[in-house]
Amino acid sequence: MLEYMTILIIKTLVAFAVSLLIVAYSTWIERKVLGHVQLRHGPLRVGFHGLLQPIADGIKGFFKEELIPDNADKPLFLLAPIISIGASVTLIVIVPFGDKITLFGREITLYLTDLDVGILFVLGISTIGSYGGILGGWSSGNKYGVIGGLRGSAQMISYELSLALAVIAVVMVSGSLSLIDIVNSQTGLWNIVKQPFAFVLFIICGLAELNRTPFDMPEAEAELACGFNVEYSSMKFALFFMAEYCHMFVFAALVTTLFLGGWHGPFVDGPHWFFLKSFAIIFFCVWERSTFPRLRYDQVMSFGWKILLPFGLLNILLTGLWMLVFNM
Amino acid sequence: MELVFLLICGGVAVIASLLVIFARSTLHSALWMVLSFFMIAVVYVLLHAQFLAMLQVIVYAGAIMMFIVYAIMMLNLRHDSKVKTASKISKVIGIGALIVLFLELMLVSLGQNLTAIQGPVTDKLVATYGRMAVISNFLFSDYLLPFEVVSILLTAGVVGAVVLAKRER
Repeated sequence: MLEYMTILIIKTLVAFAVSLLIVAYSTWIERKVLGHVQLRHGPLRVGFHGLLQPIADGIKGFFKEELIPDNADKPLFLLAPIISIGASVTLIVIVPFGDKITLFGREITLYLTDLDVGILFVLGISTIGSYGGILGGWSSGNKYGVIGGLRGSAQMISYELSLALAVIAVVMVSGSLSLIDIVNSQTGLWNIVKQPFAFVLFIICGLAELNRTPFDMPEAEAELACGFNVEYSSMKFALFFMAEYCHMFVFAALVTTLFLGGWHGPFVDGPHWFFLKSFAIIFFCVWERSTFPRLRYDQVMSFGWKILLPFGLLNILLTGLWMLVFNM
Repeated sequence: MELVFLLICGGVAVIASLLVIFARSTLHSALWMVLSFFMIAVVYVLLHAQFLAMLQVIVYAGAIMMFIVYAIMMLNLRHDSKVKTASKISKVIGIGALIVLFLELMLVSLGQNLTAIQGPVTDKLVATYGRMAVISNFLFSDYLLPFEVVSILLTAGVVGAVVLAKRER
């Protein structure tokens, strides 16, 4: 029992440390890649090629003055960033980094838990997390904030459905809701081959859930000044920021797990494949951000309901027919 | 250990649901309701009903409450709207209904010997097949007809809502 607890605690600490380090450095990746895409250098001063920039940003966040607007709903104003960061950090629990390894004569699994309902857990907790942004916008008592929050909730409602439909198609071909079983079902053939349409659907809806650029309605700088986090300063703003990048890492991990075969790969299976694929997805997120302009709000809504939703339903129907005909 | 956890979660759920009624601001009420739903989901987890717990979080704490929060924000109910004080008759009716419900609850819980799991879903079965597999097996074999009937009912509800909300052109 004691040994089990010790292993569990060490594993949890390592998993969270690694994940949060990736989260911190994905901000660096974002600024660097965006910079080079736009023919700039990006952060360059702090450390070698700006490598210490995330740490410097963190320290800056701690020392900035905290402002709470007079007409803010104070408890909610304080609670909103906590909900955001809490939910997205919780999601790290289910990320499957790799399979079992043997260390010091003990068999250790490279994931924290194998939930029977793993993928539903992700959907549920990420829904809870999106309350953070919405409440942040509402509670700051700022009109731009409220509009940002409103847009956030409308977008969440619209795209969560299509996201779930994409996931259901994957669950159908894998035959399980557990992320570990889904990865294990992809030995040899990845789900991206079996479910190309679900992959596209998942990427699009995932970007909308992440509030990344073609869909960054809640914080459209040009229209809403900065949207839901307009009144936030210092570490509270940094928490929102971290939550966003943590969510991006979890999204990358999910795409890797659901569609790209997780820790499986040519030559040697292992966590290195997981990290390689995840970083490719994170790079993709940054790349598309620098490529696409922001959609208009009504376009986002009609695209979600009139194109993605029927598309997702059709995909499920066709998957079902395929499985019935070929008796999988 | 489990009992302590159950008492804490159940207690928080009860207090949160009371605060839904007593909170001043409409949005705060909605958020207490989210907490209450979430705590009920935790109680489901303690009962080994993981699937039900996740559905509780996704459907109730997530989707439905998100709609309610959206509606509150859309209608801009920020400042405490004046609540009309209830008339005497409605108070009497309310208290009467409360007493009847309470008695009913007492009769049901004390009158019968409530036992733990009975029937096909036993602890052993749960442990062998995994919760999800067992539930879906029953849902798509023994209980297929009620399942389909419920889905038709829900579809009818959605269609009805669309018809009611659609403007005449």
